[in-house]
Parts: sequence; structure tokens; C-alpha cells
Amino acid sequence: MDQGIYVGIDIGSLSSEAVLLGDEGVLAYSITNTGANPRRAADRCLEDALAKVGLDEGAISQIVATGYGRIRVPFASRQMTEITCHARGAHFLFPRTRTVIDIGGQDSKVITLNAHGAVTDFVMNDKCAAGTGRFLEVMADALETELVDMGRKSLQAKRGVPISSMCTVFAESEVISLIAEGYKEEEIIRGLHEAISKRIFRMAKRLRVQEEIALSGGVAKNQGIAEALKALFRKRINIPPEPQIVGALGAALYARDMALGKG
Amino acid sequence: MDRQISIRVLRWLVRRPSTYRLLGVLLEVLNRKEKNEAYKIWVRFLLEVTQKAYAHRRPVIWMNAFTPSEIAYALGGVPFMPEIIASLVSYLGWSRRPISLADTYISTDVCSFYRCALGLVLEGYLPHPDLIISSSHLCDGANKFFRYLSKLYGCPHFFLDPPYKCDTLGRRYMISQLKEVVEAASGLIHVPLDEGRLAQTIDLSNQARRYMEDINRLRQNIPSPFPGSEGLSYLAGMNFYSLGSERGVDFYRTLYHYIERKVVKAEGYLLKERHRLLWLHHIRPYYENEIFQILGDRGVAVSFEEPNYLYWPSLDPSRPWESLAEKITSNIWAGPLDRRIEAVWRMVQDYSIDGVIHFSHWGCRQSCGGAGVIGDFLKEKGVPYIILPGDGADPDNYSPGQTRTRLEALVEMLG
Repeated sequence: MDQGIYVGIDIGSLSSEAVLLGDEGVLAYSITNTGANPRRAADRCLEDALAKVGLDEGAISQIVATGYGRIRVPFASRQMTEITCHARGAHFLFPRTRTVIDIGGQDSKVITLNAHGAVTDFVMNDKCAAGTGRFLEVMADALETELVDMGRKSLQAKRGVPISSMCTVFAESEVISLIAEGYKEEEIIRGLHEAISKRIFRMAKRLRVQEEIALSGGVAKNQGIAEALKALFRKRINIPPEPQIVGALGAALYARDMALGKG
Repeated sequence: MDRQISIRVLRWLVRRPSTYRLLGVLLEVLNRKEKNEAYKIWVRFLLEVTQKAYAHRRPVIWMNAFTPSEIAYALGGVPFMPEIIASLVSYLGWSRRPISLADTYISTDVCSFYRCALGLVLEGYLPHPDLIISSSHLCDGANKFFRYLSKLYGCPHFFLDPPYKCDTLGRRYMISQLKEVVEAASGLIHVPLDEGRLAQTIDLSNQARRYMEDINRLRQNIPSPFPGSEGLSYLAGMNFYSLGSERGVDFYRTLYHYIERKVVKAEGYLLKERHRLLWLHHIRPYYENEIFQILGDRGVAVSFEEPNYLYWPSLDPSRPWESLAEKITSNIWAGPLDRRIEAVWRMVQDYSIDGVIHFSHWGCRQSCGGAGVIGDFLKEKGVPYIILPGDGADPDNYSPGQTRTRLEALVEMLG
């Protein structure tokens, strides 16, 4: 294979992703749990992605690492923040994107970008799990349900039960109390989704949110969250087929720029 | 038991004036290769003031930052600023213990500089005040905190309550307050107010101010001759602590010549300066952190900082009360936010700033409250801007990963 292979690796707090980009577009990607060792997660997701297209590391032209564990990927030529990479990745997928909402495992961010995909402003949650994938994981445990089922279940509810606590620990107790009070599981889940979405909406209000909006990060797979956000923003929200790899894709695009002498 | 004994020994050492004489000798040796003589003057100044406070031969006057130190010098007293001591304790990596202790008495939402100071008070580390003077013009909480300390120490507490507006009426109100407080304080510590000494104090403050003005002009040069991390530490500390003293004049004169030499040689504090930042807020995290390293490694200089902005006009020794009142009421962090925005924009232009960081210190309503409005203004002008949440004194409130991401994203925005 003569074409260049450009790699983006996104080491998040809960999951790690690798995207292999060729001259014609995405060749392969992989998603794995980060676990306790970001370096090992980087190796693993890169190996998985390469295996999918039958390539080895020798074929790689350039690697850019992103995500909170980016500084733990020593074989990357460059490290870039997930803010810049999510903006670039979302812009590649939806060129009219001007706002990205990224809800990851450990934090959530709202990013505004210009017509070239460059970041113009951003806001991210402070060190608090509320409004993140981790929050939903804890709530799924409290409800004894599967994380992947939460989106579907919440859409079955006609209304959400208001959740007042956004501290993960207090919200867990509140959810347990609501179960004891006899509220339906799907109503509680919908309430949780609405609470998270309101928090992100309020955060986004600090920026000048413009259309189009793209949703990225693992939580974007949750239809319940997507619907709650749409209701609040009252705008169309684009969701990529695989929202979890947007950051890695952005990193791969920067890797391609570097290889072609543009970055 | 061993730990308790070592704490008792430490407290005994901390409270002995001779400790600071010995420390002074030791630090002179350790700092002998330091080229910045002004830094050495700061160390000497701090040790001298602390030594005098523990020796207690003169009245010890506790003050908060922004209460003009000139008042203490005019009264022939020794100023002692718990916030500055807290930042030093944090810098030395010792703030966790006093903060934890204070957290059993007051809310964890209170500014960590005050929590750290309270912990030090409760453990008996600090010199006993003869009186406390605090000002509310930045932080109303300061007056309440110092009121609490006055109760703990059983000493009088006076507070200044600067008006919102800096107009004739406001200044008149401020003058009357200053006179009232200083006269009452002078009666309490049995030191008659000497008009000559007051005028001399004002003159010394003014001399230092002239050098500050020159330093600020020099710092407009590209590359940045002086690191922002130091502008936010001992330079800002001297602004609060030394004005009105001879050491203060000496410090600013020496620093001016040091920076001038750098400018003549076109020597920046970074090897290669790619971008220039302005730091808003009068503090930074003082405990070990990576903030300035992350920026410096990427060629991003913190070229200027808000606490070194000269907001007050030259003081007039023949009109000391009016001068001090004007100094207090013209403070850009108090009063209408428009005044601060105007000053920020002037700094952005004067220092050829590419981007702005607004540090938001945990528990500081004063600065956090205005951060959004200032951000909107700067973004409108096309200046990249981030709010950097953190804590100046409490290392447990520092989030390394999030801080790195915010800073690096700003650098990436700068291009």
C-alpha cells in the first residue's frame, strides 16, 4: 500500500480510540478501555486498528495523540488537546459545524469553531463528574441497568423525574430514594438525562453557540441525552455514526497535515 | 507523640526572632549566585518584617492586601499580612495542614489564603497583633475574617469600607474613614501620629511608584524581560507589603536596573517567545504546579499581570489623606467593572498581548464574578481568552490534567 497512513490516538479517561486515516479517508478505527495504563491502552488500540487492515507500524507516516492521556503516548510525534481535535474531527464529518458538544467519560466540553475547523472558544466542566459518562455509569449501577440500554429506556418515558442533585454521590442516593418511592426506572433515567443536558446547556450558554451543532464523545451514543439536548438547544444536532472516534479522527487529520508539511 | 514534639519545636523556632536572622544568613549564602538582586532584597525584607513582628518591639499591625501598607509605616508599626504569609506557606508546600485545621472551623468555600492563615493562627504560629486593620474594597469576606481573628486574639479591629464610586463624595468619605481609623489606631497603640513621618511615608511610597512605572514601561518590550510567574509572586507581594518603606524603594530601584539590563541586551526570560499573555487576577497558585512550565515550554510568555498595573496616580506628600483615599478608591478591582475592563484593554494594547488568562481562585467572588463579562469584551475584540479555575493556596484544589488541557488549548488557539 503506497498511500500515507496517518494515525490519531485519543486516550480518554474511560476509553481509548485509534483512527487510521489514508489519503481517501478513514481506513480503520478501534475502541478499547483505557484501564489503569494509558500507554498500554495506546498500544492496544493502535494494534487493533492496524490489524483490521492488515498493516504494521512500519506503514505509519505520522501519529498525533490527544485526550487526557496524550502525554503518555511516547511514540506520537505530537500531542494536541482533545478540544482542538474534536473541533477538527467534527468539522471534517460535518463541514458546517460551528459548535461541538463533547461529552466524554470524565469531562464535558462545548467548543466553538470557525469555518476552517479551528477553535475560537471553549468551555469545559470543572473537576466534577456531573454531566459526564462516568456520572451515567454510576447511575446505571444504582439502577441495576446496562449503560447501553439507558438511552432506549429513557425514550419510553413520557416525562422525567426531576433530579436535584448533580453531585455524583448525592445523585446516586437520590436515585436510590426515587426507586424506593416507586418511580419508574425509565422516568428516573429520563430525569437523569435531562439533568445532565441542562448542565451542559448552561455551560454552552457561556459561549456563542452557532449552528450547526455536532455531538461527540461516547455519551453521544445515548439517544436519550441527544434528544434532551435537542429539546434544550432547539437546534438540529448532528451525531456522527461513531461519535466516540471524533477526537482520534481530528488527531489523525492533524497527523496528515504534519506529514504533508501543513502543520 | 514524636510528631507533636516536632510541631512544638517548629512552632518555637518559627516564633523566635533570631530564627529569621539565621535564616537570613543562610539564604544569603544559598542565593549568592542569584543575579536578580531585587529578589534578594525581597527575601531580606520579608525576613526583617517577620523578625520585627515576632520581636514585638513596635506595634504589630495586621492588614489585608490592598489596605495601604503606608498606614502601618506611618504609625511606626510593623505591618503583617496573613495572606502574604499564607502564599509563602503554600509556596513552601506546607499549606495542607493549616488549611485542614481551618476547615474544621470555617467553610471550605472560604478563600484558601484565609483558611491557611486561620490554621496558622489556631496552631499559634503567627505573631500576636496589637491591632488589625482590614479593608473591604476587594473582598467583603476579608472584614468578617479579620473580625473573627480579632476575637481570637482579643485585639481591636478597624475596617475600611471604600465606596463604590471614585467621585468627590466617595473620596471625601474615604478621607474621613482613613483619618478616623488612623487616629483611633494611633490612640490604641499609644503612638501619636507624626505628620512628618506620614509625609515621609507617602514620599517613599511615591518614589517606589515612580520605579514601578518605569518597570512597567520596560516590560512592554519584546521579548518579555521579566517572568510573569515572578510578577505574580514577590513583585506583587512587594506592592502589597512594602510601599511606604525604604526597603520598598530599594527593591523597585534594583528591579528596574535589573530589567533595564535585560532590555538593553534584548534578553527575554524565555529562549524563544512566540506569544505574549496577560494574567488577570492578583494571585496565582503558589504551591508546586506546572502552569508556567507548560506555557514556557511552548514559547508562551506571561508578559504582564494585573496586580502590577498602576491604577493610582502619584501621591502627594503634602496631601497624604487625599492621596491615600485616591489610591484606595481608584483600585480597578473595586467599584464598577467598566473601570477594570478599560484597564485590561489598556494592558492588552500596551503589552502587545496575544491572549489572556483569567485565573479564577476558588472562593474569590470578586474576581470570578467579573470574569465572564471581561471575557465577552475581549472575545469581541478578537483576543483569545480562557478562565482558568484553580486555587491559589490549596494544592488539593488543583487539577493538573484539566489545567494542562485548558492551557494547551489556549496555546493551540493562538496558533
